[in-house]
Amino acid sequence: MVGFEIRQAVEELVYRSCMMLDDKDWKGFLALCGEEFRYTIAAHSPEIRRDMVWLDHDRKGMDTLFANLPRHNSDHSPITRHATVYTVDADTAGREATAVSALQVFRTQLDGGASELFAVGRMTDTIRLDGAASRLLRRVVRLDTRLIGYGYHVPF
Amino acid sequence: MSKNAQQWQQTPALPQTHYVDSRIYTDQLLFEEEKEKLFKPSWIIACHESELEAAFDYRLFTHPTGVPLIIVRGDDMKVRAFYNICPHRGNTILYDPAGNAKRMTCIFHQWSFDSRGNCIDISRADQGYQKRFCKEDAGMREVNCETAYGGFVWVNLVDDCQPLKEFVGGALDILAPFISEPLEVFHFHKAHVRTNFKLWHDTNSEFYHDFLHYFNRITGMMQPGYFDRKYTGFPNGHASVGSMEIKYDKYEGSKSRAVGWPGLATGGWYMVDIFPGMTYNLRTSVLRIDTVVPLGPNEVIIEFRGLGLKRDTAEERRERVFDHNMIWGPFGRNLHEDLLGVHGQGRAMRPGTDSRWIIQGREENSTIHDEVGMRHFYAEWSRRMGRPAFDPYGEGKPAPVRAAA
Ligand code: FES
Ligand SMILES: [Fe+2]
Repeated sequence: MVGFEIRQAVEELVYRSCMMLDDKDWKGFLALCGEEFRYTIAAHSPEIRRDMVWLDHDRKGMDTLFANLPRHNSDHSPITRHATVYTVDADTAGREATAVSALQVFRTQLDGGASELFAVGRMTDTIRLDGAASRLLRRVVRLDTRLIGYGYHVPF
Repeated sequence: MSKNAQQWQQTPALPQTHYVDSRIYTDQLLFEEEKEKLFKPSWIIACHESELEAAFDYRLFTHPTGVPLIIVRGDDMKVRAFYNICPHRGNTILYDPAGNAKRMTCIFHQWSFDSRGNCIDISRADQGYQKRFCKEDAGMREVNCETAYGGFVWVNLVDDCQPLKEFVGGALDILAPFISEPLEVFHFHKAHVRTNFKLWHDTNSEFYHDFLHYFNRITGMMQPGYFDRKYTGFPNGHASVGSMEIKYDKYEGSKSRAVGWPGLATGGWYMVDIFPGMTYNLRTSVLRIDTVVPLGPNEVIIEFRGLGLKRDTAEERRERVFDHNMIWGPFGRNLHEDLLGVHGQGRAMRPGTDSRWIIQGREENSTIHDEVGMRHFYAEWSRRMGRPAFDPYGEGKPAPVRAAA
């Protein structure tokens, strides 16, 4: 079990990252990530009985993705991430931590504002620990939900 | 000039083959007829052989007519298809979408079936039936099943159906050199969209909507050769589109394409639409297959598969997965746009919205922005339905056709 300060730094980072993405503050999100950051969305298909990767970008790939988003036609309904940090483990030197969080994603229609559950999954973050300067090094979102209608351009 | 109610009703000043009545996308009765006349007699792709590698591997598939099917590889390694309906009291036999079942046992009263569809056990048979009814009377319903054209498992519900070869005709010849070696599915997902299944097939049958895709505008449309690609129509409503080079490097973030596809020029692209709702799409390093499973006139499930070569190294596969995700993944650039497109059509075309005519009138010598692919589909639709798509209820007084300038 990690100490209170590590836990707090990790939770802050995970929750801030969700808020930045919810707010479409791509710069703010990337500022929370280290240079070696990598974002992966994975899912298991019981239909073909295989693990699948649905998105896999390094830091540069994320830059490009965010830069290109305004040029594409996308669904404009906002999404809201609800993360709950379940476990935090750190190496003995207290330099790196792994946080496992439950993730729920809701989508809210622009017209009328109805919200619906969009996806659920589990998020595993690797974090370089440095107090308030802690950074995300790796995020792997394993989605349980695989039916996401007409999809989305922004990763969650 | 905008139109008043009466003008809005008037047919477009185009030949009748060049537009359809939008009620063919919303009418419940026509939809029931489509299941009977289009989907039932057609060969439908249920899954891929790589999803059933070992003996007794099975895969469930809901046929577009609604019939639940089990596709299973037998003890003799032959792939067969059966109704997933117990001949006893109509229960579901297998529940999981895929698995391995040496014997398929219905959970309800434990009747068991082998991989060839024979009933091999009726619990307490003699006590209850006293030989009036026996295992031999309780076989599963088998449907026609063939593995072909890239290792896909095709099914047909009609006993004396047209042979698969005859149904496909020459439509997949263009892809034959690329799908002769064993392939493997690495991606599967479904999309549930409130739209008509034909609208998805239409999107797969016209490239004029490349204007929807920033990616395609940049990597394709602005490149030399783009407008040279041609549609070819085939009997039974199928159509293909020939190759072009895609300049991936024009889209920032697309690294240079190394893995490719054997025999396919770098940046090559082939598409074949199989009537009434399947598409082969081979682009650069990935084969994508779409299968529509309509749930109603305004509701469809589309099954998406991504395939590579069975012999791929881990590195090659990673690259194919990356290429696939970039464009066609659930978070990919184009798939979301295409789905958003047909979602928007479904939203505008509901009973009562007073949508009226769908114009498919572009003529460009069958090249890429010609709408001949859709016209070819609706010619077959009209033939099979015994109703013209431009006037499905026989009401029409078409407007005079305007000649080309
Ligand atoms: S319904 Fe299947 S065994 Fe009775
Ligand atoms: Fe498209």
